[in-house]
Amino acid sequence: MSDYTKPLPIPSPESKPFWQAARDHRLSLPKCSNCSQIRFPPSDHCSACGDATHEWVDLSGVGRVFSFVTYRRLYNKGWEGELPYIVAVVELAEGPRILSTLVGIEPEEVLCDMEVKVVFDDVTDNVSLPKFIPA
Amino acid sequence: MTSGASRPAISSNPVPVPNRALRDKYAIVGTGVSRLGKVPGVSTLALTEEAIYAALNDCGLTVQDVDGLLMRGPDDIYTFHQVVGERLGINATFSTSTANGGASQILSVIMAVMAIDAGLASVVVCGYGRDAWSRTHANKDVQMRGATRAAQMESAEFGPEFGLFGAPAMHAFGARRHMHEFGTTREQFGAISLAFREFANRNPASQMRDKTLTMDDYLAANMIVEPFCLLDCSLRSDAAGAVIVTSVQRARDLKRKPVLIKGFATHNNTSGWFEGNNMTCTAAGPSSARAYEMAGLGPKDIDCAQIYDCFTYMVLVQLEDYGFCKKGEGGDFVSSGALRLDGTLPTNTSGGQLSEAHAEGMLQVVEGVRQLQGIYEKDRQAPRAETCIVSGHGGNTVCHSSLILGNAT
Repeated sequence: MSDYTKPLPIPSPESKPFWQAARDHRLSLPKCSNCSQIRFPPSDHCSACGDATHEWVDLSGVGRVFSFVTYRRLYNKGWEGELPYIVAVVELAEGPRILSTLVGIEPEEVLCDMEVKVVFDDVTDNVSLPKFIPA
Repeated sequence: MTSGASRPAISSNPVPVPNRALRDKYAIVGTGVSRLGKVPGVSTLALTEEAIYAALNDCGLTVQDVDGLLMRGPDDIYTFHQVVGERLGINATFSTSTANGGASQILSVIMAVMAIDAGLASVVVCGYGRDAWSRTHANKDVQMRGATRAAQMESAEFGPEFGLFGAPAMHAFGARRHMHEFGTTREQFGAISLAFREFANRNPASQMRDKTLTMDDYLAANMIVEPFCLLDCSLRSDAAGAVIVTSVQRARDLKRKPVLIKGFATHNNTSGWFEGNNMTCTAAGPSSARAYEMAGLGPKDIDCAQIYDCFTYMVLVQLEDYGFCKKGEGGDFVSSGALRLDGTLPTNTSGGQLSEAHAEGMLQVVEGVRQLQGIYEKDRQAPRAETCIVSGHGGNTVCHSSLILGNAT
C-alpha cells in the first residue's frame, strides 16, 4: 500500500479512459468523429457539434500555460510541507485547456504562455497524474 | 486565444432583448439585513428570519402579505425556500431556491418580476442567508478547507488531485491572465480593497468597521493563492439579507420610497471559465448590455454601483465589462479614485463583501436600494444618486446577473 496522502481522482464512466491512458503515460482525450474537435472534460456528446461518436486519441503532450496560481496557504493536509505549489490551466497544442500542476520550476519563473510538456507522476500503483514541466 | 476548433460561444439565435414594457412597472419596496459578521450560536434560518422580518417592517408589510418566496441558503440545505416558508408560517403561490451562486440574488429579483407579471404572485420576498463564518470556524479541519460546503460536495476529479481547492484559485486564474494581457498590477487590486474598506469604516454594521487599511497593509498581507493575498478575498460572514418586490401600484401605499426596477438581464458563460477569453471578458459584458438596453440607459447615466466583489479582480473586470472603462483599463480606472464617494462612480458604498460582510450579493441589492432612497448621512450617501447598477456573479465564476435601479423621475 502506498503512503500517498493527497486526494486521488475519482473517475466518472466518461473519464475512465483518460485515467487508464495516464496509467500508461499517455495523454488521451476524446476526438469527435464528426467535427474532429478534441474535447475536455470527457463527455458522451461533442461540445462543439453535439455528435455522439468519438475515438480516444493520444495527444502530443505539449502546450502552453494559459494561466497559473501559486498556493501559499494550506488547504489540504496532503500538501503539508510542500508549499508553495503551482496549479495551472494548460492549453494543449491540440486545443483543449486542462487543469494540472507545474513541477520542476519555481513559481517566480512561471509566465503565462510559456511552453510546457507533460510528465507522468506514478503517485500510487494504479494512478498516474499528468503534470507539466517547462518544455 | 480560443480553445477548441470551431466552438460557438452562444446559440445562433438572435440575442434576446428583455421586455422594455416591464421597465418601471415593479419596485423594491423594503430591505432588511441580519446581524453581520461573527454571529455565533445563531443558525442560518434564524439569520434569514431576522432579515426577512426587517425587510417587511421596513416597508410596513406583514408575512401575511407575502405570496412569493425566492430564497438561497447553504448548498446543503435541501429546498431552503420550503424550510424558510415553514419558519414564516406561510404558503406561497410562487417559491423556489436558486443555485447560481453569487448571481442568484439578482436572479431572484428578476424571477420575482417575472412571476408577478405572469400573475403567479404579488408580493415576493427575495432572501439569502448563510452562517458562513460559523461554518468555516467550527473546527481546525473546516478552517483549513475554508469551504462552506461538505467535503463530499467537492469535485471528484480534475481539481483536488492537482491541489486545486477553494474559490480564490479559480478567480486568481483570471487575475493572473488579466495581469499578463493588460499589465494590471497588485497595487491596482489593492486600490479596490482600500476603497471599499473606507466605506466599511463608515458603516456601523460592517464586519470591518474598526479596521482601517493602507496600501502598505495590503502589500504586506499574507499571500493566499497568488496573485491574491488575504485582502483580495471577501469575508466569511454569518449574514442574511432580504428585499421585497411588488408592483408600482402596490408600492404606493407603503412606508418607504419605492425604488424602481428599470432594467435587468442575465448571462451565463456556462461553456466554462477556462473557455475562450471568459476569464478576462466575463458574462458581465452581455448581461449588462441587455440590462442597459431594457433600462434605456448607458454606463454614463449610472450614478453609483454595487459590484459583486468576491475577489478584487472580479470588481475590476466587471467594471470593464459594464462599460465604465475600456477593456484592459480597469486597473487605471480603479486607481484613479473613481470608486470613492467623491469619485465618478461611488462603488460598494456599504463596504462590499470585501469589507462589510459576504451575503453572496444580497447586501449589494440592499445597498443599491438604500442609496437611491437617500437614507444615509453625508459620509456614506452617494451624491445625487438617482440610478444604481448592481451586479451578481458566481455559479463557479461564469454566471452573471445585472440589475439597474432608479428613482421615479
